Amino acid sequence: MQSTQTQPLSSKELEYISDSISNEDLLIKQYAATAGTTQNQTVRQICEQQIQNHSHHMGALIQLLQQHQQYAPTQPQ
Amino acid sequence: MYSQTGNAFMQDEDLLNIILADLKRTVGEYTTATTESACPSVRRTFNDLTMDTLRLHGELFTQMSQLNMYQAPSKALRQELDKEIQNAHQTQQKSQQFVQQKTGGQGAYAQAPNVSQHQANVQNPYYM
Repeated sequence: MQSTQTQPLSSKELEYISDSISNEDLLIKQYAATAGTTQNQTVRQICEQQIQNHSHHMGALIQLLQQHQQYAPTQPQ
Repeated sequence: MYSQTGNAFMQDEDLLNIILADLKRTVGEYTTATTESACPSVRRTFNDLTMDTLRLHGELFTQMSQLNMYQAPSKALRQELDKEIQNAHQTQQKSQQFVQQKTGGQGAYAQAPNVSQHQANVQNPYYM
């Protein structure tokens, strides 16, 4: 099912995936910085939970790249 | 570990507000990415990430509200709302007329509208 649905990534899609990974990275770092400086236990818990959530997002984006690796042409078409 | 010094370089509230704004921007970018993806599996992933980021944004907003870290904007006045409803009804009516003109009454609007029976707004004290 996966193979019939998967097409080679367009350069635009690749750019969106790359930008999205940067966004998730920035969110994770901001939550980590907040968790590191806060003295409020609730805020720290929120940040730690959100770091998990955004790490999953980043994992999904990396997985998307890996799924398309084998379909990518090796020469410009 | 400099968390106990009290010299946080920014307040929790400011930091979380920056994150909230970034989540909003990220949702927008995921939405655009979804609409511009040709590969079904890429589109599905971006769609899922749009929905999940929207959920996380709502979650953070609620948590910040509970911590009194989010200042809600002022409430819209009743008279502003009444005026907007009147305008919306006019827009809706013109839209229906346009569709009927173009389709000869065959379009979806040809059926009896189910929202036009709104009477209270026309009798409101502010605009009569």
